[in-house]
Amino acid sequence: MSQTMLNKSGSAGFLNPKNRLTLTWVLFLLPALLVYLTFMAGPLFDSLRLSLYTGEGYNPTEFVGFQNYINLFTNPLWREKFINAFTNTCIFFAIHMLVQNTLGLLFANLLSTDFKGRNFFRTIIFAPATLSVLVVGFLWTLILNPQWGAVNKIFMAMDLKQFALPWLGRENLALPVISLTSVWQWVGMPTVMFLAGLMGISDELLEAARIDGASEWDIFWRIKFPLLKPVIGVVAILTFVDNFNAFDIIYAMAGAKGEPGYSTDLLATLFYRTGIAGEHPVGIPDMGMGAAIATMTFAILMTGVLSWLYFSRKQATE
Amino acid sequence: MQKKLFGLLSLLVLLSLALTACGGGAATEAPAEEPAATEEAPAATEEAPAATEAAAEEITLTLGSWRVDDVAAWEAINAAFHEKYPNITVKFDPTNPPDYNATLRTQLETGTGPDLYFVRSFATGRELFDAGYVASLKDLPGINDSFTEASRAPWATETGEPYAVPIIAVSHGVYYNKEIFAANGIEVPATWEELMAASQTLLDAGVIPFANGTKDAWDINEVVMMQFIPSNIGGFEGRMAYLNGDRCFNSEEMVASFQQIDDMQPYLPNGFEAVSYYDAAQLFAQGQAAMMMDGSWSIGAFEKDATDFEWGVFYPPALEGKDTYVTFHIDAAIGANAASPNLEAAMTFLEFLESSDFAGLLGNNLPGFFPLTKDVPTLSDPIAADFMAFNESAAGVDIRFVWEKLLAAPSGSVDAYTSLNNNVIAVLKDEKTPQEAADAFNADLAAWYEPAAGCK
Repeated sequence: MSQTMLNKSGSAGFLNPKNRLTLTWVLFLLPALLVYLTFMAGPLFDSLRLSLYTGEGYNPTEFVGFQNYINLFTNPLWREKFINAFTNTCIFFAIHMLVQNTLGLLFANLLSTDFKGRNFFRTIIFAPATLSVLVVGFLWTLILNPQWGAVNKIFMAMDLKQFALPWLGRENLALPVISLTSVWQWVGMPTVMFLAGLMGISDELLEAARIDGASEWDIFWRIKFPLLKPVIGVVAILTFVDNFNAFDIIYAMAGAKGEPGYSTDLLATLFYRTGIAGEHPVGIPDMGMGAAIATMTFAILMTGVLSWLYFSRKQATE
Repeated sequence: MQKKLFGLLSLLVLLSLALTACGGGAATEAPAEEPAATEEAPAATEEAPAATEAAAEEITLTLGSWRVDDVAAWEAINAAFHEKYPNITVKFDPTNPPDYNATLRTQLETGTGPDLYFVRSFATGRELFDAGYVASLKDLPGINDSFTEASRAPWATETGEPYAVPIIAVSHGVYYNKEIFAANGIEVPATWEELMAASQTLLDAGVIPFANGTKDAWDINEVVMMQFIPSNIGGFEGRMAYLNGDRCFNSEEMVASFQQIDDMQPYLPNGFEAVSYYDAAQLFAQGQAAMMMDGSWSIGAFEKDATDFEWGVFYPPALEGKDTYVTFHIDAAIGANAASPNLEAAMTFLEFLESSDFAGLLGNNLPGFFPLTKDVPTLSDPIAADFMAFNESAAGVDIRFVWEKLLAAPSGSVDAYTSLNNNVIAVLKDEKTPQEAADAFNADLAAWYEPAAGCK
């Protein structure tokens, strides 16, 4: 059966086996490409188009060219909102990069050695990642509650009244606290990826190093770390993409307005308020401006991802 | 060759990762257009029976609303209506409040809107009328006789053409724990100064005087600040002076309102910055806080939760020497979808909303929501009746300060609600003095509200 089919396709004009192979590749790609074009690229370009229009409600019809972008960067209020959201997103990303990924590397390194209760710790570290973000947000909001939250109760019991703060109510605290909550939830992800990377390092290398008298510290920095570089790159780019899109944890813990006082407003919450929900109490969205903000977010992500690709490929060819 | 293809493929995968990034935006935007095509069908099929249906035939109307909590009460009201008009059935179909305006707008734009729906007051509702989505009610019998002009105004054009029947008002006040008050020898205060003195007594006794916090932001604005303003500015007439530009938004009356916020600050819970509206209600219901400023809509919740002690309500009194004005906020009206195939039946329902039958059903099924018909039936819920009594003893009643005209800020400028909210919180966090907050409020409004342009 398969033989005859192969013959048929062969007789349909494929001249040599090499050529046939390349073209089959394309055929296999086609269905996925179609799905991708319809459900990803299509809406994306529609969103780009939408950013050139204005009008209230869900059918912006008036074409305004780049006016939305001009407003976003020249109107003092819009500019302030956008820069504030961008800065907050950068801080949110930086905290994840520094705390989440460093902890992930540390945990992975510890978990890659043999010790009692290894599976137990592995489960504990990964478990929060399986919870819903809304549940995590709700739990931590309760734990951090100034009146009956566990954190402040503990500080009070230790007679450290000055540390019993309204964690989610102060402009300078809320964003780091929410970022750390998110770190707590997702630290299992880089841990698992680093762990897989470490497992891939051949034992012979490590053994040889030990025989040569290298300390664990040296082994980590001179053998494990360089060999993990590709994984670190992937983790970094995934963290970047995830964090510049972050919305749910802020929505769960600080609301769509990024309370208190817009101090936790991220690009995604700003986009949501502008383009989809509108602001209380009027609640009529400005979809054109929303699309402009989404496009800017896309441009930021695109720049990040492309420069990563460029550098990682450059490194690979070197 | 193989390597190049692989490179191309990985680029594609990464790009799609980045795209899903913005896909959040794109994906949610896409449906805006799609329903137009897919949901046109049901709208069309609905039209067909309407054409053949004679008055005696069964008609089902849908009623859109943002009141998800009130399903049982509306079912009772609709059942009473059905009893009166057996051929018409009304189905209550509410949407989550934060999504209501946007959802309704989509439905109306795509021809799938409900036959009847709750209409927001002033600019938000007016836009729907101007766009032709809500039917004019100038020919609805009895609408002018059943409601005062003040009740109709939020849903009428400048020439007085009504487009929705006002149904619900909400009031505001201070819920207080009678047992804590008695234990500390405190009477219901008659002036603001007395209230502050009482709060100090409570604080000294180790009780949290007010449960309110600012984490959710809206509550400190709507149920606290907007209760102080009317008494300071002199109710409706005072508000008109601001809207006409006769007074600036940083007048001494406004500074006095911000000062009251500042006065309250020491009497809020520890860490009030992170106390949410829900937390505040819990603090009061558990008897940990002596008072909570809240809306009449919470009667039902407190009747269920605060069962361990006696409680009551009083209106926040004015500063010594000033008259107390009550914020009785006209909140909701019902209008008919101009494109509804059953417009006639919808009008029948709207006429029913003018009757005292409906007023009684509403006021008693939903304690804390007050009917707006001229002759209000007696309300069976004692707390609801207390709220109603505020209106009689007050020098006057008015709606919330910022609702009329001051919400319609053009894109890129700050509306009065947001500005007031931010400045109230800034005063509570000691970031601004009352005078600075009032100046900032004035500056935000003078930037776009034309009558206030001279106040810059």
